[in-house]
Amino acid sequence: MNNLITIFVVMAIVNNLVISKFLGLCPFFGVSKKLSNAVSMGIAVTLVMLLASLATSIINQFILIPYNVEFMNIVIYILVIASLVQIVELAIRRTNISLYNALGIYLPLITTNCAVLGITLINANEGYSILESVVSALGGGIGFTLVLVIMSGIREKIDLGETPRSMRGLPIAFIIAALLALAFTGFSGMM
Amino acid sequence: MIWIILILTGIGLVCGVLIFVVNKVLPPEPEALQKAEKINKKLPGMNCGACGLPGCFAYAQALAKDKNTFFSNTCATVLQNREMLEDLEKILDIKVDTSAMNKRAVVCCTGGCGYIAKYDGINSCNTASKLLAGPKKCPYGCLGLGDCLNICPQHAIRIDKDMNVAVIDPSKCIGCGLCVKECPRNIIKLVPADAKVVFRCSYDSLRDIPGREKCDYGCLHCRQCFKACENEAIVWNKEKAIPEFDYSKCNECGACIEACPHNKLILFKDLIPKKEKVKVK
Repeated sequence: MNNLITIFVVMAIVNNLVISKFLGLCPFFGVSKKLSNAVSMGIAVTLVMLLASLATSIINQFILIPYNVEFMNIVIYILVIASLVQIVELAIRRTNISLYNALGIYLPLITTNCAVLGITLINANEGYSILESVVSALGGGIGFTLVLVIMSGIREKIDLGETPRSMRGLPIAFIIAALLALAFTGFSGMM
Repeated sequence: MIWIILILTGIGLVCGVLIFVVNKVLPPEPEALQKAEKINKKLPGMNCGACGLPGCFAYAQALAKDKNTFFSNTCATVLQNREMLEDLEKILDIKVDTSAMNKRAVVCCTGGCGYIAKYDGINSCNTASKLLAGPKKCPYGCLGLGDCLNICPQHAIRIDKDMNVAVIDPSKCIGCGLCVKECPRNIIKLVPADAKVVFRCSYDSLRDIPGREKCDYGCLHCRQCFKACENEAIVWNKEKAIPEFDYSKCNECGACIEACPHNKLILFKDLIPKKEKVKVK
């Protein structure tokens, strides 16, 4: 139990996917303009990460390791993640139109999102069991959502203020991200 | 070795079957999306954004919600293509009058005014025009750096190297209006597709820039064109001191074209001479 909590906190805060490992920057800068969009995106990514982690860790434990083909994990993980995201997109499209419209292009973008592939490869490299993988993915997803929410909050405020004209939009977002990353290094070395 | 092939194939098959099953099991698409999908199949799919909406699927969704969006945000590509237009008319149950809606873009400048300085900077009209009203002598005319060329989805614009001016090929232009928005000097204008004569000068006495003269070949406001027209097809705009046209009375006699001392008027069909057909990149 202690181990699981450690893994959760490490993936969510200490080794945050976006801020410490620089994975998943596309949705981080693209969807963080409005708080509501950021929350929906974060939830979608967390969901995909959970399912992807579960499926890939099962495949890793029961298929790849027994047959000594762990080196195939990147190709197979991409296949599995792409199918999963397709299924998630189908499900959202058929059941909740407003959510589908809110996410727009970003849902298929999660397929190529390195954060999702990244978390599955981290699980494989660290040799986590199935339960540990799921907890790590949960931590990763929640950490991603956390940083996305913080970023969108800051960006919404900055938009109301007076930014120099050449800095508006993406340039100031990068500077904010850099300062956020600097702040999060305060957690490094913890655990 | 054999295991790798088997495992990859197996996982691929399982994923495929899973997607198929999910597709069958979930409830069918909501009405709005179904209609939008049907409409989307008839749209050009270029995602140029000229209609004002982000992409063809967003346009399809807007049309599904309200079919009159076609008139407020027209898709210029569909308007040119007879088959696409008829298909869309059938699906949306609307009647479109192409003769009234078809437009073409014209660059209202003949170039050739020469430079007062060498421009050494970012190769964009939007940037160059902000630096001391541009490097060319005439501060109202075309800079010839090609912002319009880059944004045209039909590749209908080319730059005339001698005169350093952009020229739009009316046979390729669909009148989407993207270049009109892009030009920093607002010298591209939309004219009806059946326009007969066009006036190519943007000197506007209302926007005089102190310290800068206009082009040597600019419009003199001499009214020779107005006097030369025998069919009263030219109306003189007193505020801007430029000619405007009533194409219903024009019979393309060419009297106004000969009368203009600076060759500012040209027959629309002569804009791109037939001999030099432009090759698309």
